[in-house]
Amino acid sequence: MLAIENLRVVYHDVISVLNGISMDVQAGEVLVIIGANGAGKTTLLRSVSGMIDFYDGDIIDGDIKMEGASIKGLDATDIMKRYGVTYVMEDRPVFWYLTVEENLEAASFSRWDKRVKADMEDVFGYFPMLRSLRHKRAGYASGGEQQMLAIGMALMTKPKIMLLDEPSLGLAPLITEELFSIIQRLNQSGITMMLVEQNAHAALNIGTRGYVVEMGRIVLEGDSQELLVNEDVREFYLGSGEKERKSYKDAKRYKRRKRWL
Amino acid sequence: MTDLIQALGSGTLVGLVYAVLGLCIVTIYRASEAFNFAIGEFLVIGSFLFYVLFFDLNLPFLIALPLGLLAAAITGAIVERLTIKPLLGRSPIAMTIVTLGLAFFLRACVQIVFGSHTYSFFLDLPDITLEIGDLLFLSDPIWAGMLSLGTFGLVMVFLFRTRWGLAIRATSEDQAKAMAFGIDARFILLIVWAMSSLCIAVAGIMISNFGALSSMTGIVGLRAIPVVLIGGMDSIGGALVGGIIVGICESLAGAYIEPMGLIGFKDVAPYILLLIVLFIRPYGLFGTVRIERV
Repeated sequence: MLAIENLRVVYHDVISVLNGISMDVQAGEVLVIIGANGAGKTTLLRSVSGMIDFYDGDIIDGDIKMEGASIKGLDATDIMKRYGVTYVMEDRPVFWYLTVEENLEAASFSRWDKRVKADMEDVFGYFPMLRSLRHKRAGYASGGEQQMLAIGMALMTKPKIMLLDEPSLGLAPLITEELFSIIQRLNQSGITMMLVEQNAHAALNIGTRGYVVEMGRIVLEGDSQELLVNEDVREFYLGSGEKERKSYKDAKRYKRRKRWL
Repeated sequence: MTDLIQALGSGTLVGLVYAVLGLCIVTIYRASEAFNFAIGEFLVIGSFLFYVLFFDLNLPFLIALPLGLLAAAITGAIVERLTIKPLLGRSPIAMTIVTLGLAFFLRACVQIVFGSHTYSFFLDLPDITLEIGDLLFLSDPIWAGMLSLGTFGLVMVFLFRTRWGLAIRATSEDQAKAMAFGIDARFILLIVWAMSSLCIAVAGIMISNFGALSSMTGIVGLRAIPVVLIGGMDSIGGALVGGIIVGICESLAGAYIEPMGLIGFKDVAPYILLLIVLFIRPYGLFGTVRIERV
């Protein structure tokens, strides 16, 4: 469905963040991308969604194809409208000074039609707590409510594929669990998900396949069940592992890179 | 007592025109966080576009006004496309500096095209002079106040009742978020500039009608600074209140302080008031109460 081929991205012309990433997302799956901070996960989503321009980044090599057509370098709004790729930015991208209802309406701006009200009801069906907040400013909602609103807003754009950037950021474990079960339900309703997460355990549990990204490269890929039991992933991202505790010296990144490559 | 009511009344009428100036600054400030210092030049250009259509081409008022305003909006849009759009996503300071440059450039353009002499500017609007006892309100300020209030109301309806207005408010809050949800921030910015220069043209035509039109009429645009700073840089309602406060302050100073021998105090009074307001409320009277998460 979505194919990323040998993608290289630099910021401000000098800072190389993605050094040749290739991956493909198949229709109907939940693709999980895990990696340390600064690995390039967010940059990857920005590149796919066309937002990279806004952050002064450039795709210097490679291609991004959505259902066979290249979407590299297109405008973010075009990518969203024509190809159904919706990017939910990290840190709960809701409009604080608009009410919950206005937020949902604003998100449906690009495809305004008679069905907006009905779609809004669908969103309230997935996230019942939003209904009671509909006339409240989104800035006063709790973190969990804001994240659910953000996903609700993404739903209003009628996406084929949703790029989720750390939806669990700053949320309590119980809320995260609820959120992920809703993401799973949305996936079952036919929306492909590309999920970037720090909470590797929760993400891999609902994911079908996963990639591990480090220093702008893919170092490991596989079914999420495989990754969950993989020795290295368990050690670095799940905080457990068979071996005895490592000293900080061994956890240095270059050591780890040697292991992957 | 009559003096006081007279001063308050005329102050309010002029204040409504200032409120429109403030509104233009506030909408642009909210959308791009830049202060538009070229407001005076937009005002002059808008007035001259109307002047050409109405006085030179002798079109009827009801055709010349919409056409002139449309032309002003298109000018605003072109200026935005050429100077502001390339700066999207950059620092708002950069945009503010660009508007400073624009102010000089546009003023020079106006002087090249129209010269720097004064044009007589008189709209033959129906006489609605109001005389109640000793009070006298002239026709022109009443028309100016009413048309400004109407413009203000239309902009409010546009911003708060239509989906385009919603998109503008969303973009004003965060361009990146708006783009991620399919609102074309670049196009919204274009609309905001067009809308803003249209409103400035309305104010400009009213202000020119008080006296005459020349390339220096734009100095009045500076009145927008105390208006928005008193009202709050990002508050639309604040622009209305700020405008009226500045208008009243001016006419009170004109009625009570200038006769004491301080000629010209009228022009300074709003800035003194501005200082006092900023000492007490640094965000202005109606600046947004920021949503803080604790």
